[in-house]
Amino acid sequence: MPTATETQRQARDGGDVAHRWPRHRPSQRHFPGATPVSRGLWPLMLPAVVVTGLLVLMPVVYTVWLSISDRRPDGSNAGFVGVANFSQMFDDPLFWDSVQVTLFLLVVCLVAETLLGLALGYLLSIDVPGRRIFQGVMLIPAITASVAVALVWLLIYDPTLGPANQILDAVGIDPVVWLGDPDIAPWSIAIVDIWQWTPLMALIIAAGIRALPNEPFEAAGIDGASNWAKARHIGLPLLMPVISVAVLLRTVDLVRFFDTVYVMTQGGPVNSTNTLNVYGYRSAFIDQEASYAAALQLSLLLLVVMIAGVFTWWRRRRTIEY
Amino acid sequence: MSTDTRRGPGRGRGLAPVYLGYVVAALIFFGPVLFMVWSAFRRNVDITGSIFDVTSPLTLDNFTNLFERFAFLYYIRNSFIIAGGSTLLGLLLGVPAAYVIVRRRLAAVGFMTLLARMAPGVMFVLPLFVLSVNIGAPSNNTLNFLLLIAAHLIITLPLCVWLLIPFFEDIPVSLEEAAMLDGCTVGQRFRNVVLPLALPGLSVAVTLSFIFSWNFFLFALALANSDTVPLPVIAFNFIGQGASDYGGLMAASALISLPAFLLTILAQRWLVRGLTGGAVK
Repeated sequence: MPTATETQRQARDGGDVAHRWPRHRPSQRHFPGATPVSRGLWPLMLPAVVVTGLLVLMPVVYTVWLSISDRRPDGSNAGFVGVANFSQMFDDPLFWDSVQVTLFLLVVCLVAETLLGLALGYLLSIDVPGRRIFQGVMLIPAITASVAVALVWLLIYDPTLGPANQILDAVGIDPVVWLGDPDIAPWSIAIVDIWQWTPLMALIIAAGIRALPNEPFEAAGIDGASNWAKARHIGLPLLMPVISVAVLLRTVDLVRFFDTVYVMTQGGPVNSTNTLNVYGYRSAFIDQEASYAAALQLSLLLLVVMIAGVFTWWRRRRTIEY
Repeated sequence: MSTDTRRGPGRGRGLAPVYLGYVVAALIFFGPVLFMVWSAFRRNVDITGSIFDVTSPLTLDNFTNLFERFAFLYYIRNSFIIAGGSTLLGLLLGVPAAYVIVRRRLAAVGFMTLLARMAPGVMFVLPLFVLSVNIGAPSNNTLNFLLLIAAHLIITLPLCVWLLIPFFEDIPVSLEEAAMLDGCTVGQRFRNVVLPLALPGLSVAVTLSFIFSWNFFLFALALANSDTVPLPVIAFNFIGQGASDYGGLMAASALISLPAFLLTILAQRWLVRGLTGGAVK
């Protein structure tokens, strides 16, 4: 608590001009007598830091230990085994299959979500009455619990009773075995992800489109550029930063693709939808190979950290606004 | 609203093509959700019939079945305990942290909370499972709930911090300096000046954390015992039990999604920030 003289000195030195200072500037540089607002705050942060440390760092450290030791299904640990789990991983065709499945879903979903997101984003960017309501409706797939999404798509994909095949039948196309055929199942899973996340992508892109300056388009219009040329050569380059953010966000989520796949196929049929994440989970909880699962999960973490690194580096180049 | 208020390349077009686009997009992206809700109110014999049969009778049987035969209320309670507990804890820890991040301009820490949101959940499950076995949580419901709440904190804490940052940024430093001149301690300043002003932010953080925790599947899948399972996991378990009881599955899905649907209506703008990690304000 400041003493009476301190308060008086602050008042004399101009305490009431405080509001003129730029926000967040440490006060003492301009105003030596005052206690800066930011002083003595760090204890407030301590609980969150400690809990985050316990919750996030300890599991990571423990996973590293698991991956270089040999934990048995009965809970005992045979101790340090070096890189054995990792060399087992590199020799495991299922691991490479799961990497392939993960990358397949990543590429297919990203391409489709970006292209569809651009189209839908353009639609969402146009100011017409009812735009906000439409935007709200478009948000629903992203906010619906992934388990509920997976369950409704299980019904949609039902080979005999599902609407997907009923609709195909109505337009004269043969029924498709959506989830039972190893060649088709990855595509079916991709469709669900595309369905769930394209609208969010579109929303991000729409915000970008609405922030575009008008002048370049007007200038190009005066020069006689077609609408397509304007969109392709002015709009798209200006939108690139926004699109990259959306793509990176989706990339991080797609690499950890789990809920929908696990509920719908549990990685099957014949491991055709066995993403790295699902494989890591199954190794731990179904095959009971904790140490091997730890190695798989670390490889997944490495992938996410690499992507997050790109993301960080990319945001650093722009201004950081948290 | 005149057409001149339109921005970007879309200005100067007619309304009809836009609304046609709305209809097509809504059919694709809202259709399956509508189908889920509709099926929840249909008899199984109709669900497995034609989807074009829009005149089939509606019924509440699927829902009454859930509550009477499967004690759904019990699992709703579990979901409330886990989502409520983790939201409350996330807020208790996250509010002061977000405040310090803003006042001390710890941009890097603020960004790290975003990274925490990116970490793959599977990473945490195995260590938590081993911990759970070691402390005897599988057979002790109280411990099991506490562990699930702690696990869900991995989701709610970064989310709370992330959502609260812009609200604290909007509180003028001068107000706090005035409080300091009046002799407030840090704690008094935080309680009496900062918190009341951040109230809208707190409500946003509460709703979004609750929904994200409510929807989360993975941790409870691995850690919950048969007494502590929340809704998403029990719905998943139904797949095997009620062989092709699609009506029941859809009713369960609709119930799980209910809080999220309400949220979309109430807090649309903040939902976007919560989902995009701040890429869109």
